This record gives sequence, C-alpha cells and structure tokens, in this order.
Amino acid sequence: MSDDGAMSFASANVSGEGGDTIGDEDPRAALFRERFILTEARLMAALGGKTQHDGSDGNNAGKDPPPDAAREDQPRAAITPKKPARAIDEDDYGDDDDGDDEDDANQSPLLSKGAPNGAALSNLDPPTLKVPSLPAKLGVERTSTPSSDQAKSSDDVRKKLQQDKKAAEDAARRSFHTLFYTLENDRDAMLEQQKLDELDRQVETEMSGHPAAGVTNGAAGAPAQQGSLSTANLGASSLTLKHLIARIDAKRDAVHATDAQLRNLISEVRKNRSKWASEDRIGQEELYESMEKVLMELKATEHAHPFLQRVNKREAPDYYIVIKHPMDIGTMMKKLKGLQYKSKKEFVDDLMLIWSNCLKYNADPAHFLRKKALYMKKETEKLVPLIPEIVVRDRVEVEAEERRMRNGDVDVDGVEDSDDEEPLMASRGRKAPGRGNKGGSTARKAPPAGLEDTPGLDKKPPIPSFNNLKTEFLRADSEMEGSINGLSTPPPGTLTPFGPNGIFRGGAAGSQADASEADGTGNSVSGLTLDAEDADLDDLEYKTWKQVTKKDRATIAADRNRMFRGDHLNVEEPAILRTKAGMRRWLRHRKEALEEDKKDDSTTPDGKDGIQPTGETLAEGIEGEDERQVPDYYDPVSAIPDMSERLKWVEDSEGNVINQAEEFMRIVPKGYFTAPQGALASKIEANMRQMQDTRKICAKIGIVKQMQLQSQMYQNQFQKYGPLPFVEADVEPLVVSDDGAIMSPYVCRAALQRSVGKIFYHAGFEEFQPSALEAVTDIAGNFFANLVRTLGAYQEQPKMKMEEPSTASTGVQSAWKPRFTQEEAVLHSLHENGVDLESLEGYVKEDVDRLSTKLAGMHDRMKSHLAELLRPALDGSAGADGAGAFNDGSEQFVGGDFAEDIDEDFFGFKELGLDKEFGLASLSVPLHLLQNRMYNHAQSQNASIVSTTGVLMEEPPKFEPVTIRNITNEIGLVQEWFLAKLHHNNDQQLPEDEDLPVKQRFPKPRLPPTGKISSPRKRPLKEQQQMARKKRKLEEGKDDSTNNANATGSASGSGSAVVNGNGMPKAIAKPVGKLRLEMPGQKDSQNNAEPEKDDGSAVGMISPESIGGA
Amino acid sequence: MADKDKLAKYRTEIQQMMFVSGETGEPSAETTTLIESIVQQQVQEMLRECTNLATRRGSRSISTDDLMMLIRHDRAKISRLRHFLQWKDVRRSVKDNSDDKGGDAGADIGAGDADIAGVAGGSGPAVETGKKAKRAKVDLVWEPQSFYNEFVPARDDDNDEEEDEQNFATLQRLKNADERTKNMTREEYVHWSDCRQASFTFRKGKRFKEWAGFGIITESKPNDDIIDILGFLTFEIVQTLTEEALKVKDAEDLYKKETGGEPQNRMKRKRESGLFDPPEEAREPVQPSHVQEAYRRLQRGNNKSRAMLNFTRNIHRSALKLI
Repeated sequence: MSDDGAMSFASANVSGEGGDTIGDEDPRAALFRERFILTEARLMAALGGKTQHDGSDGNNAGKDPPPDAAREDQPRAAITPKKPARAIDEDDYGDDDDGDDEDDANQSPLLSKGAPNGAALSNLDPPTLKVPSLPAKLGVERTSTPSSDQAKSSDDVRKKLQQDKKAAEDAARRSFHTLFYTLENDRDAMLEQQKLDELDRQVETEMSGHPAAGVTNGAAGAPAQQGSLSTANLGASSLTLKHLIARIDAKRDAVHATDAQLRNLISEVRKNRSKWASEDRIGQEELYESMEKVLMELKATEHAHPFLQRVNKREAPDYYIVIKHPMDIGTMMKKLKGLQYKSKKEFVDDLMLIWSNCLKYNADPAHFLRKKALYMKKETEKLVPLIPEIVVRDRVEVEAEERRMRNGDVDVDGVEDSDDEEPLMASRGRKAPGRGNKGGSTARKAPPAGLEDTPGLDKKPPIPSFNNLKTEFLRADSEMEGSINGLSTPPPGTLTPFGPNGIFRGGAAGSQADASEADGTGNSVSGLTLDAEDADLDDLEYKTWKQVTKKDRATIAADRNRMFRGDHLNVEEPAILRTKAGMRRWLRHRKEALEEDKKDDSTTPDGKDGIQPTGETLAEGIEGEDERQVPDYYDPVSAIPDMSERLKWVEDSEGNVINQAEEFMRIVPKGYFTAPQGALASKIEANMRQMQDTRKICAKIGIVKQMQLQSQMYQNQFQKYGPLPFVEADVEPLVVSDDGAIMSPYVCRAALQRSVGKIFYHAGFEEFQPSALEAVTDIAGNFFANLVRTLGAYQEQPKMKMEEPSTASTGVQSAWKPRFTQEEAVLHSLHENGVDLESLEGYVKEDVDRLSTKLAGMHDRMKSHLAELLRPALDGSAGADGAGAFNDGSEQFVGGDFAEDIDEDFFGFKELGLDKEFGLASLSVPLHLLQNRMYNHAQSQNASIVSTTGVLMEEPPKFEPVTIRNITNEIGLVQEWFLAKLHHNNDQQLPEDEDLPVKQRFPKPRLPPTGKISSPRKRPLKEQQQMARKKRKLEEGKDDSTNNANATGSASGSGSAVVNGNGMPKAIAKPVGKLRLEMPGQKDSQNNAEPEKDDGSAVGMISPESIGGA
Repeated sequence: MADKDKLAKYRTEIQQMMFVSGETGEPSAETTTLIESIVQQQVQEMLRECTNLATRRGSRSISTDDLMMLIRHDRAKISRLRHFLQWKDVRRSVKDNSDDKGGDAGADIGAGDADIAGVAGGSGPAVETGKKAKRAKVDLVWEPQSFYNEFVPARDDDNDEEEDEQNFATLQRLKNADERTKNMTREEYVHWSDCRQASFTFRKGKRFKEWAGFGIITESKPNDDIIDILGFLTFEIVQTLTEEALKVKDAEDLYKKETGGEPQNRMKRKRESGLFDPPEEAREPVQPSHVQEAYRRLQRGNNKSRAMLNFTRNIHRSALKLI
C-alpha cells in the first residue's frame, strides 16, 4: 500500500477520532480511554527504558529479515520446480527427505519471523485497540506463542502439502513445453467452471437476498455488507494508526527504523484485513479464511463436480428418503458466507457428511460416484489439517470473560491465569499475529486456482467485495505485489524474549498442537499414499496437470466458446486479442524452457538466480501480469515468431541503424529458369536441330516442286524458311534477399511451358496452338505436383525402429530409420503415378535415341532428294544462264558428279543470287530451266539455241530511285507528280517498275514494227483483265478486239518471262525493241504447250486502251 | 437359341488357334464360348474407339490408322501388324504377277506367322519373288516421316533394326512352334498347319462383319485392310489369352502339386503314373476359370490411367483394356 494511502487514511481518521472522543461518554469509551492511557504509559516505558533492546530488535528484525526472507523465499520458489518434479516422477510424496529438510530449514526462520510479527504488532497494537491492560498485552504475546507453535506444527503439514502441491504444479508446468495435452478436457473444465461460478453467484444472490439470515448468527456487524465491514475496520484501524503515528512521531529518535520500514509496517497492519474479519467475532477471520480456502480447493478438484449442488429430486427421487441430512459444497458455501460455522469441527463434519452421504446412497461398490467421493474424502483429509482449531466466539462473550478474569487477578502481569487463549484474542493485536502467520503460510500455499505466488485472497484490500468473488479472484493477481510485500516483511521482533512463561506455555501448547496435528499428518500421509495407489485410474501427471490448469483452461475455453456460441461466429463478442502480458509470458516461458533444457539436475545457485529475473522487466509490473497455468499453445495469439537475424534493428556506435539487408542480397544464379544441360536434354536438342535442318531442306524441295508446277513466281511468293535456333532465355539478372526457391508462378509456368513446347517440337509438331500448349502445360504441372505430393507422403511416413542403432554420418546415433529410403520413395511415387523405369527408359531409347538415327536418315534422304531435283541446273559449265547445261551430250546428268556442289548456300536461291546473276527480278526464268520437262524439251531442241548463249549486252546501270531528297534533281514539271506519288508512298522511295511483283507490274511498252508508239502506257495485267471483263459486258459486239487485247495482255506478261527463260535475260532489262522482236517467234514455237502464250506479238499493238481511245 | 448360335460361331477357329498357341488339349465349349465373347467384346470396343477417332478426324469411315492408333502403345504388336501388312502386300503383288502360284499365296494371308517362318527358312519361289517385288512400307502417322511436309522417298537400304528388336515375342512364339512341330508326324503337321490358317475373317467376311457389329457400331462397308487387320488382331487376342491362361493353369497345377491338391486331383495323379496314360498333351484342357483369370490379369491396368486422379476424389472408371 502506498504512503499516500496511508496518509489519507490517517487524515481521514482524525475526524473519526474526534467524533469518537467527543461524541458519547459511554462507559465503554471511557474504559477504552482509560486503557489507552495505561497502554500509552506502558509504551512510553517500553520505548524509553527498553528501547535499546526492543528497538534494536525491532530494527534488526525490521531491516534484516525482510531482505533475508525475500532472498530466502524467492529462490525457493525457483528451486521447487525442479526437485518436487522429480519427486512426482517417483511417486513418493512422503519420503521426500530433501523437501522435508528444506522445509524445516526454511521453516524456522519463517516461524521466528511469524512470531515476531505477532510480537511487534502487539507492541504496536494496544493503543489502537484500546486494550489497555498490560496483562492483556503480555497475554497477547504469550498466547501468540502457542498459536504460532500450533501454527508451526500444522505448518509442517501445510508446508508439506504445499510443497507437494507446488511440486505437482511445477511438474505440470514443466510438462508444458515437453508434453502436448489434447484439448479434449477443456469442454468439461469449462462446464464445471461455469457451474462453479454459477454456484458462487447463487450463493451470493441468496446471501444478498437475505442479509438478515446471514446476520442472524453474527453478533453485531456481520460482514454481510462490505460497506459496514470495511468502514468498521477502517475506522478502527485508522484510529489505531493515528495514535500510533502520533506516538511514533513523538518518539521518532527512539525508534530505530527508517520511515519506509515504518510505513511498511503500518500498511502491513492496515491491509491485512479480510472479508471475514470481524471485530465482534473472534477467531472468525482466521478460521473462515482457511475454511474458505479448503472449500475452494475441494471445489476445484476434478471430482468435485457431482457434489457442488444439492441432489436434484428429479434425478434421484428417493434420495431424501435415504439421506436425512443432505449436504453439498454449495450449501456449505452458503453456510460459510452466512457465518454459520462456529468451529472447525462443524465444518469438517459437514464436509464428511457430503462424502458419507454419497457413499451411503450409492451403495454399489462399483458406482462411479463412490470413487469420486472417496477421492474427495482423501482430498479433504489432506486439507483439513490446514484449518486451525479455532472456535469462533462472540466478542461480547469473550470480553465478558476477560473482564471476569481481569477482575479475578489484579496483577498486571497476570499472564499465568489467562489460561484460555480466547480472552487474548479479544485484542486486535491478537488477531493480527494470527493473520501474520497465516499470511506467511498461505502465501506459500497455492490458492485453489493454482495461481502460483498469488496468495492474494487473504490479502485483500480493505474493501473486500462479497458480490464478485470471481473478479476478486482475478484481481488477486494484481495484488500480488502487495502480497509479496506482506510475505517478505514480517514484522520484526521475536517472541521468545517476552518471558519464560510464554516459552513454557508455548512449548506446552505446541506439544499439544503437535499431538493433535499428528493425526492430521498421519491422515494426510495415508491419504497421500492412498492417493498414489488410486492414481491408476488416470495418469498422475495428467491428473495434476488437469487440476492445475483447470481454471485457466476453463476460462480460455469459455472465451472461445463465447465466440462460437450457437455454432456460428458471434461477431459481437470481443475478439481474442494478444496482450503484452501474454507475449511477455510467452517469451518468459520459452526462455525458461530453454534454460531448463540447458541445465542439469543439479541446479546451481546461479541457476536459481538466473531464472528468477527472467522476463522481469519494468514493464511487467506496470501491466497487470496474470500468470496463467496453461501451456503456451492455449494462447496462440500471444506467440511471437522468431525474428530473422537480418531484420533485427541494429544500431552502430553512432546510433545509426545498420541496414543489414545488403549483406543478405544475392543474385539469382544463372540458369535458374533454363533447362539444365543433361545428356538427355542435349540429345533432344540435337534432334530438334536436326529436324530444323531437315525442314529447311523440305522447304526447298517444296519450292522447287512448286516452281515446277507453277508457270509464274513472285518474288515474295516463297517465304524463306529460316528457323531460328532454340535459345532458352533466362530471366533478367535478379536480386533477392532471402533464401529458398524463387516463388514466381508465372515465370515457373512459362518455363514449364517452354519445356512442353520443346517436347512438342521434339514429337514432331512444328507449330501448335497456344491453347494446346496451355492445356498440356496445365496437365504437366498437375502431374508433377501430384508426383511431388506423393513423394512427400512417402517421405513423411513414420520412422521405423531399427534392430540395432546406427550412427549417422553426423555422428548422431539413432535407433530410428525412415520407413522408405530415398530411392524407394522415388520409385514408389513414380509407380503411384503410373510411371515405371521401363517406360522412362523406353522413352529415352525409342523416342530420343532411335528418333535421332531416324531423323539423321531422313535428313540424308531429303538431301539426296533435293539434289536429285536440282541436278540439271547444277553444272558449273552450264554457262551463266544455265543453258550451257544442255550444250554437250549432257554427260553430267548421267554421271551425277556435281553432287558435291550441293551445299547449303547454293540451295538458298535468293542467297545464291541467281536473280542477280540473271539480272532478273523474278526467279521464274532460271527456275524454269530446272524443270525436267524443260530439260527434256531442251534436249529435244536443236542445238541452234546454243548460239544464244553468252552475254549479248551489258546491263545498264539502274536508275536512281526517286526519293524526297533527290526529287529536286527531276524536271520541274514532274516534280509535283513525283511528290504526290512519294506522298502516297509514305515518303518512301518510289519503286522501279521492275521491282514490282509481276502482277502489279506495268507491261513494258512495246514498239510495234511500225515504230509508232500508239498507246501511252498499258495498265497492269490485272487491271487490264478487269477492264476487259467489263468491256466484254458492255460491248458484246466488240468481241474480237477485246479478246485480242486480253490475249495481248497476258501474252505480253508471260511472254516476257518466257523470253527470259530462253536465255535472253540481259536483253529484256530494257525495252529494247529490236532484240525483243526477234524472240517471241522463237519462243512461241517452243512453248506451244501453253495455249495462252501462242503468238501475242502480232496483235500486241492493239490494246484495249487504244481501241477505246480510238 | 439364336444367341447361342451367334456365340458359337467361331468354335472351331478358336480351338485351332488355341492349339496353335500351345493348348494341347481339347478345350470345352464353355472355354471357347468365353474366349469368343471376350474377343467379340474386344473387337467391338476397338470398332467403337475407331469410330470415335474417325469422327474426331471428321471422317465417317474408319481407317487402318485408327486401328493402329488403338494399339500404338504395344510396340511389338504394332511391329507384327506392320509385318503382316507388308507381307499381305507382297502376296497381293505376287498374286497379281504370277497367277499360277497366287492362289496359294493368297490363301496364306490369314496366317502371317507361317509365312514369316517360311521366309526365315528361305523356301518357296513365290515368296522369293515376293521379296523382290519390294515390300511396301507401312508408315504410321506418328512416325518421323510425317514430321515433314514433304514425302520422303524410301530408300532401299532401309534397315529395320527396330523390327528385329521388337519381334522378340514373335520369334519366341515361332521358336515354341518349332519345338512343338519338331517331332510331329506328317499328319500331325498337316493338322497343325491347318490350324495355323484359322482365322476369324478369312473367307468369312460376312459372318465376321455381322459378328463384330459392323453396320451397328460403325459403317457397314469396311475397308478390306481393316477386316484383315481385325483378323490379325483377333488371332492375337486368342493367342495372348491362351498363353496367359496356360500360365495360370501351370501355376495352379504347381500349387496343387506342392500343397497336395484336391482329392479328385490326387486320384487323377494316381492314374497318371500308369503305363498307358494318354500323352501328356492330351491332359486337362484350359478351363474357363483359367481364361477368366487370364483375362483379369490382362485387364489389370497400371497406375498410368489414374495418375491424374491422385489426390482427387474422382473415381477412376477404367476403360476396357485392349489385349
């Protein structure tokens, strides 16, 4: 409690005190005042005379022990997880010597601390309580001795129980990160918890509904209403404090304690009020405190469920016939809250009644409830010793007795005759030491919920709330600090120096208590052993685990259940969020687990210290840290993922953040998305190249054949077949910052698609539809995914035990081996997916190897086929136009010795430059030479043609093409016309007529024999024909002339070609009339096979235009 | 009755084929009927599939390529079929060339294997001339020559190493036949060679068409080649089935021998040791159960057909597997 609080309380009490003093002068108040004065005098004497002794004592105790205790306590809390865990494993509770020794060792200081606490408090208390009598005060001290002794003896038991409990808990906690418990019990836990809560609520409502009923037994201020209780308490204590503080201030120099210590002490005194505290009922607080705890503990056990509520008459109609005095935990709670228990015995009787009722009603030895009841009974026997043997008595009664006694012996130091402890309990001081003890013990004893080191229940703030037990429970965590405080600062002073009597008494009482407690211990021990035997019904560890974690599991399960109530997601419910506390807890647990792994059984003291500070940051105290006894997997939202090294926030010495990213950058290695070069891949690629080559030849063969069939060719009629080599493009240089494969579905798919495309090509498809490629890629992707999944399934098979452990290459010995070796897994998964080694081998052999030989053979055959086709034209001595091939007796055609001339370039006609050589824009003429029929024809011809061989005329230089740039060189008249033409041609240079395709080409103007140019210019062939057709329609009468014109047109077109074919290529480059005119006659005679081509020359001059024009 | 007649149409042929394939005993009518129904099912399935393929191609009539497509995965069978077709071609040309011997040659069409044996032996002038007449190569559409848009002229020195390799099964069969005929008397051999000529189709075209469901499943006027190929394939089916059934029977006999067998068998074995027992060949013919088991084994597919269904919940419906 903070100083502010203390001050405010103090100040608030001034008025209270004032009211008190001034208000009524009733005899009681007078009595009090009288006593107060007495006490003050005594205190003065004590402080003044025995200051040295008392004060130093107080100081020593005040200063030294607290740190001691803190040191003592905390490490122990840390140690216990280890040793008792082992004890659990061995299943021996009783023979845990270590624990006992330790207990004893720990106990004595604690006890001595507990006792001084009492002493010191009694020192402080008298003024506050206005118990003026010195004997009373001493009595307090004396009586506190037996009680503390009794506490000591029962403490033994308690300690041990505690220890066991703690051990169990810690074992459970330890198992958090070593064992995984299924969640199947959560629902039960939740339901039980709900029931418990409901029970509590029910009790509360009943209590608050009939406060009178609760008060009936309570003498005056039954603590049914928190308000009255707290105010009463506060009033009393504040009054106390006021005087105390005043007194201490007055004698400040005599008190050898620092302010802080004093404040601590005071807050200690003021705080330790529980809801059970009652001024008028002596012993109630202590008794009820423990009773409640026991009840809570029992309630929380796993088997408590059937006993929580009254037996329903519907469920067991004859129950109330068999059972005359029904009892259940709920009723007991009610009774407890109604303060109906007067003593431990009543309480225990009720408890036992429950179990015996159950056993009585369920007489069948096999009944499952019996087992539960027996278990609960044992549990009860274990816990009962924790309840002090106190009989609650009314204050009035006690005081009356006291008074009687005081009257009896006038002696101030009449300690001896205060035989019974009760009168002494009347003093507030008496109560405090009791609670001090209690505080010490309960602090170590885990509360029923199993919250470690949250002994908060009894250390409630002065405003205990009756109505919300649960919230109080939860809040207990937040009060942890305070409770620890209370634990570690037992008030100073020892009990023993206060007189031999006290010691004697204490000893006697102690022995008594020992005797009485011996039973309890025996009971509990037997109970424990029995329990161990009984443990067969469930794994002990599991059971403790369930028990320890029950409440938290229930809470968590309830939270989740709320979200999904009614089988759907309830959006209105609060979400389960991660909390700072949760994350801290998670971190701490992990750290602990790590450390525990590291550590051996013999924990060094360092280790103890090491664990303690773990995770204790400043922030921890700030936010409410609710320690939960559940494994971390119950709180997945709080888990903190590991952080990658490179993402850590690292600062250099100047406080600049170091960008670590660069160190982790790496360039994706080349060839990540290309096919690796394997033997098979290279074979396949070789096959593909072979196919390309063969296709090239095929294209040439096709062209040659086409040329043989077709009379006319166009320059661009045959697309050159120039397949590009296959290149697998890799991705652009790419930098990534993390390891592992590059996850880029698009790129990967594209790579697969490319491979599929290659396989397509390899299977003989030169081209394929994109949709086909897509489909096959999808199928392939699916297949490979299946394959990999199968492989994964095989590799994830559980491992098998080996006969003899083997040592892996890493030196790790293991008795387990994988179910399938790598090879087996691969083979299995291949088989599962319908692939076997034979088929794979078959593919390589048949579809790759054999294919390559076949392809090679085909290539050869194609090549020779092409050679055969081209043979006639290949003679080098054939002359420039190839006509020379026909000159001699054509021996070459028979001998076939020109085959070696065949090479790649030669067959690429364009590259060959045949057209250039012949000065022709078209290939038609020279290729006609290659025709077999031409060849035959030529052979049948007379040899006179031979004379035409040779160059007759040099080819004139070509005209310079007309472009935008050189247009100014033209005559001004035509410039505009040219410009328009150029513009029409997108400012490109104007093509020469000769470069046009044959069909678009304008027929060359002919000079008729007369020498007159009759028509300006002829239209292109097609136009002519169209025109002619139109004309035919229009002028049916002019049949003859039109036909003529038609014939002329076509003749002139083809005629020129044919002429060229006959070996006059140079001549026709220009319209040279004379020469040309010689030829048609010859040509016509040759070419009578083509009907179209018979004599065009005669009528050549009469064109449709001329007719039309004329 | 009609049904039964229909079913029993090929009893003799099947018996003969089984005899050629290694069955020495006289198979019962049940066995032949079972085999016949299996063969019929297979043929009808083939025709159905072929029709599907042809339809996909956009044609109404099935072609030999369709048939070959169906068995393309069985390289050995394809090879045998091509061989058969080549020799059929040869024979036809020989028949055209020399009428005097053509009749004989033509008669042999149905049993290509016999001719192969003949060729191997290098006997018969007709065959010699046939070989000279140049065997027409049967090209398959998925072979490399179809990769190119130009026809590749055949070359004389084409080596058929693949055929040699793929004919292993054929050679094995021939060897078995050789073993069996080694000690035959003249009459037996005549019977044997008669049996070898057994065919479902040869000179029974109408019956076969009716039996196989031409006109119902597919168009009723099939190509001659198709009928011949089907004849060849039906023979192959019977042969494969018989061989497999014999294997089954052998395994069963061995098992019975090892385990003591059934009582009735023991009695038979007692009799077996007699001096005047019929020759071993005449003993127990293949039973329908053997044929059924053989059929089951042959139908047992590999995982290939359902590989894509892994990790899905689709139920695999296996199609009829062509034997």
